[in-house]
Amino acid sequence: MSEVEALLPAFSLENNLGQDQNFPNEQPTLLCFIKEDCDTCKTAMPVLEALHQSNVNIVLVGQTTAGNQKLIKEFGLSVPILDDSQLKVSFAYDIEIVPTLIWADTDGRQVEIQEGFVKKDWQALLERFEAKPDIAWNQLPDWRPGCGSLSVDPVINDRLRAEAENSPLRARKIEIASADDEFEFMFDQGFSDGLPLVPPTPERVIRMLSGTSRDPQSVVATVPPNMGEATVEKLAINAVMAGCKPEYFPVVIAALEAACTDEFNIHGVMATTMGASPVMVINGPIRERIGMNMKLSALGQGNRANATMGRAVRLAIRNIGGAKPGGTERPTLGNPMKFTMCFAEWEERSPWDPLHVERGFNEKDSVVTLFCMTSGPTLIVDQGSLNAPQLASSMAMSLESNHHPKAYMGSDTLLVVCPEHVDTMMRDGHYSKQQLRDRIMESTRKPLRDLVQDENSGVGIPADKFAAMPEEMKNRQLTKFASGENIHIVVAGSDAGKFSGAFHGWLTGPGGSIVVSRKIEEM
Amino acid sequence: MTTILDPTNEQVPVERQLSPRLGEITGRLAMLDISKPRGNVLLDKFETMLAEALPNVTINRYSKPTFTKPAPDELRAEIKANNDFLIEALAD
Amino acid sequence: MHDTVWFEIQGIPSVTVASEEFAVAADTQAKALGLKDARCVFVAHPIQDASDEQMKEKAQAVIDQVVTALTVN
Repeated sequence: MSEVEALLPAFSLENNLGQDQNFPNEQPTLLCFIKEDCDTCKTAMPVLEALHQSNVNIVLVGQTTAGNQKLIKEFGLSVPILDDSQLKVSFAYDIEIVPTLIWADTDGRQVEIQEGFVKKDWQALLERFEAKPDIAWNQLPDWRPGCGSLSVDPVINDRLRAEAENSPLRARKIEIASADDEFEFMFDQGFSDGLPLVPPTPERVIRMLSGTSRDPQSVVATVPPNMGEATVEKLAINAVMAGCKPEYFPVVIAALEAACTDEFNIHGVMATTMGASPVMVINGPIRERIGMNMKLSALGQGNRANATMGRAVRLAIRNIGGAKPGGTERPTLGNPMKFTMCFAEWEERSPWDPLHVERGFNEKDSVVTLFCMTSGPTLIVDQGSLNAPQLASSMAMSLESNHHPKAYMGSDTLLVVCPEHVDTMMRDGHYSKQQLRDRIMESTRKPLRDLVQDENSGVGIPADKFAAMPEEMKNRQLTKFASGENIHIVVAGSDAGKFSGAFHGWLTGPGGSIVVSRKIEEM
Repeated sequence: MTTILDPTNEQVPVERQLSPRLGEITGRLAMLDISKPRGNVLLDKFETMLAEALPNVTINRYSKPTFTKPAPDELRAEIKANNDFLIEALAD
Repeated sequence: MHDTVWFEIQGIPSVTVASEEFAVAADTQAKALGLKDARCVFVAHPIQDASDEQMKEKAQAVIDQVVTALTVN
């Protein structure tokens, strides 16, 4: 009992004589895939030539044009070689090894297949033909392993997968004219944030897609303001343009998901005249695996993962969602974090639970947390505090200036504590994050009457409203942040320097932006 | 030829587009002589005819240093800053 | 053609006037530059040995096409 084999892919290729040769061709056919720089293929060439001379219907498929010519010259071949330098036929046949010898029947069904060169197997196969070619078998080696087919070379294979009929790519293909400059073209089309982009060729996008197991056409998020559907493929295109590696891609996916939640409110974040932008904080094992920076210059430039993942999210929001400065994006000043802002927490240097664990994830989960910033990181320069309470209240004094010293209760902060400040806090024993938060809240406490508009500043509670308040309300104590939960604390930075940093938030709560975390699906 | 994939939600065409034509020539019209012999005679005649037909249009004449190369960046910038339409002649 | 394509991309309606000998090359070049619809108006050959009077006649013959190229989408 043998199952009926499926038909082999039909094809037509031009041979070295300029003639088109077809498969199938109304006779049983011996197909052989070869490439010139493979010694095993060369071992087999005299056999293949002898078969042709004894009228066996043999179709030789060669993988490079120049290589085909060399083989013909070197072996004085009369058998024509078909030009598969585009490798489409090799790809369609899923050829991994050359030589691969396939015997097909009249209809084009596979009868038998051999990879490499095994003399006794080739002999056994050829004995089944009527023709008896004159082959000096005794001069041939018993066995030679095959070589890798060009169609499985990683770079070429990406191109072939991108071009194949069952390619996972669906995005519109844009052909940039040969005399046009692709970098200028992308600027002119408005794809860029102002910096050059990596051209998102099909090969590169296919490689980016290898970074996730998600279906390329599945929708990650609907991106405002145009409510564009961010499929995995569209996001991969933007990640390529941003300069990401495929292993970063799961972070970009999780971050865009987080950005497009109601809580995070990316539309408001992008649109506000305050010039807000997401800060991405990465926790968990993926930090090390993709080589993120969480130490010296963690918030600065110079690390590809940090720089490109933040940029990928921003480009996706621009290109898929349509958020562009002057369109729906209306920042008065804007800020450079709108190009990119992504860093990792140095969990190992922290005496506290890392951010993602505090937010309910497992320590071994990789997680992205999005915080909406409007300014910062503003430096907290404190080289003199000697213990935890002193440093914590000193930090609080600095945090009071978030937005404005008289703007209270309206925003969050992301406090990035540097290692030396961590050490100061731990000098007299463990000082918990809760203690730090409590101290900040306590130290920023002010009576409501101190926050009224006056001749020195129009920021604060309107004077007429204040005048109408009952006395006990006028003396009510307010804190800079609505609660300790509005203070988000992570550890990052180098071991040298007593300089922590704080990102100021935007409006917190449902009318503004709420911090959102998403687990990163690692492969 | 480079092929790239569209990063947008595909609501806008991405080929290089002609500037929209608005039915009439208004404002400022540049005439760029590519500096091949005889082209100036053709452009002179164009100018005479257009000046008569479109008295409100300002016509500015420019010439390239050589027809063998695209116009230098400075000349392009000057023409762009001061004109709304362009006629280039005469390639042969 | 390089110039007119550049000006089109900058938002300036542009037209190249060329001799009819140039028609095929112009089409190829427009495609290579990524603007296959770039406007071109062709005047009758020959050019280099045409008299001033003949050049003026050539100008008259195509002036309407030139205006159309700049005004009609």
